[in-house]
Amino acid sequence: MVISAETATKPVRAVGGFFAITLDTFVLMFKPPFAWREYLAQCWFVARVSTLPAVLMTIPWAVISGFLFNVLLADIGAADFSGTGAAIFTVSQSGPIVTVLVVAGAGATAMCADLGARTIREELDALRVMGINPIQALVVPRVLAATTVSLALSSVVIMTGLVGAFVCSVFLMDVSAGAWVAGLTTLTHTADVIISMIKATLFGLTAGLIACYQGISVGGGPAGVGRAVNETVVFAFIVLFLTNIIVTAVGVPFMVS
Amino acid sequence: MTLSVPSGLHPRFQRMRNAAVGGWNQIGSQTRFYATTLAGIPDAVVNYRSELLRVIAQMGLGSGALAVIGGTVVIVGFLTITTGAIVAVQGYNQLASVGVEALTGFASAFFNTREIQPGTVMVALAATVGAGSTAQLGAMRISEEIDALEAMGIRSVSYLASTRVLAGVIVAVPLFCVGLMTAYAAARLGTTAIYGQGSGVYDHYFYTYLSPTDVLWSMAEVAAVALMIMLLCTYYGYTARGGPAGVGEAVGRAVRASMVVASILIVVMTLAIYGQSGDFHLAG
Repeated sequence: MVISAETATKPVRAVGGFFAITLDTFVLMFKPPFAWREYLAQCWFVARVSTLPAVLMTIPWAVISGFLFNVLLADIGAADFSGTGAAIFTVSQSGPIVTVLVVAGAGATAMCADLGARTIREELDALRVMGINPIQALVVPRVLAATTVSLALSSVVIMTGLVGAFVCSVFLMDVSAGAWVAGLTTLTHTADVIISMIKATLFGLTAGLIACYQGISVGGGPAGVGRAVNETVVFAFIVLFLTNIIVTAVGVPFMVS
Repeated sequence: MTLSVPSGLHPRFQRMRNAAVGGWNQIGSQTRFYATTLAGIPDAVVNYRSELLRVIAQMGLGSGALAVIGGTVVIVGFLTITTGAIVAVQGYNQLASVGVEALTGFASAFFNTREIQPGTVMVALAATVGAGSTAQLGAMRISEEIDALEAMGIRSVSYLASTRVLAGVIVAVPLFCVGLMTAYAAARLGTTAIYGQGSGVYDHYFYTYLSPTDVLWSMAEVAAVALMIMLLCTYYGYTARGGPAGVGEAVGRAVRASMVVASILIVVMTLAIYGQSGDFHLAG
């Protein structure tokens, strides 16, 4: 089988293109004029499509984690610590991860579809002709909007998760409410919450950048847009899970000490 | 058509009613699509076998840029490696902070099998196989290829949707097995090689609490989740409209809907399988 140099170097060039756009975005982020209107519109848009799915997805995971921890703790006679388990699981893992799954699955896909459709209709070229840098006008506000909403949403998700786990433990599995609440801060401290927020911010930033890169570099009609959106989801999830393990491994010494 | 009427009597009320009726009709048409798809599975096996095999091969290996990085198997393996390693990193350290880090092997056997890996594989399936089907079918719908199939006398739901649903369920279970293996390996490697726990301690607690029944139940969970995801994703792809942007939107909607529905399904199945007592005994 003969693979042309073009095909063989495609992934390398894609990674290069991604870093080029990332660099451009970071440089133009601090260069006026900042596209406020687009930023606010995108924030509202991402928040609108993400909030309900995020809440709907958190509740099941809160219930299941509460359930599994309680089964385990009840068996060793430590059901009073069920709040501790719920706090660890929700604050450090499920909160940021659910946020990112939803921001990548709902917000980033829509961004990529929108930018991809514009690329195909050559609207981005039209912007360039008019002397407007599409990265400054479209990419920067979108990336920042994904970051902002991701940070804000992770708090909502963590709160929902904790309330869900509380209801499940206290009303369904007969854990004492006071012991549950008192157990929350046994192992979860300020450092965990800060690391969780750093995670959510990084996740939103990465998801936004991947979506915008895929949207801008799309080609080949409707099938191309569909493929680009699909790739956005896959690459975003891969990078996010990778970021999660790295940030967790780096943050763990701060969390346990 | 309502266009011939100059203006309605109660426009706001009418709009609300139309929205409600439209939503209701959409539920109906969605249900009918699912019924047609499931009923078309025998038809697909008998008449469209080559297409079925092609779709299975494509789902296992991926298409386009996803095939370049190794396809669905590699993506699932990669995601489960990271979540398995999380069990080592977070589990080992949190357990060490209360002095029972010896139980990390137990945490891997218990949480990986019952909750974390079905969840991770669900996410991976929705992103790769599910969203990929939506993108393909959506692009076909937009470029009127589905109408062309119908015009050629091919039953498009059986040919496109039923084959993909069946193929998704068929590839899901082996993918889950691969994912579970890599997750166990990552958790073991992280705990023993990186955090330096004795591998005998780890293996002892791991094998003591690894329950084959749990693994089988999780496989059943993943198969059910795959069926749900494929039904949702083929529906959104099959009914995509609105040009190139519409395909992208359909993919986004499919990913969102399938993750929410699959999460709820996993919880319902977990509670149904293990019951309120959890079917678990630490002391044996």
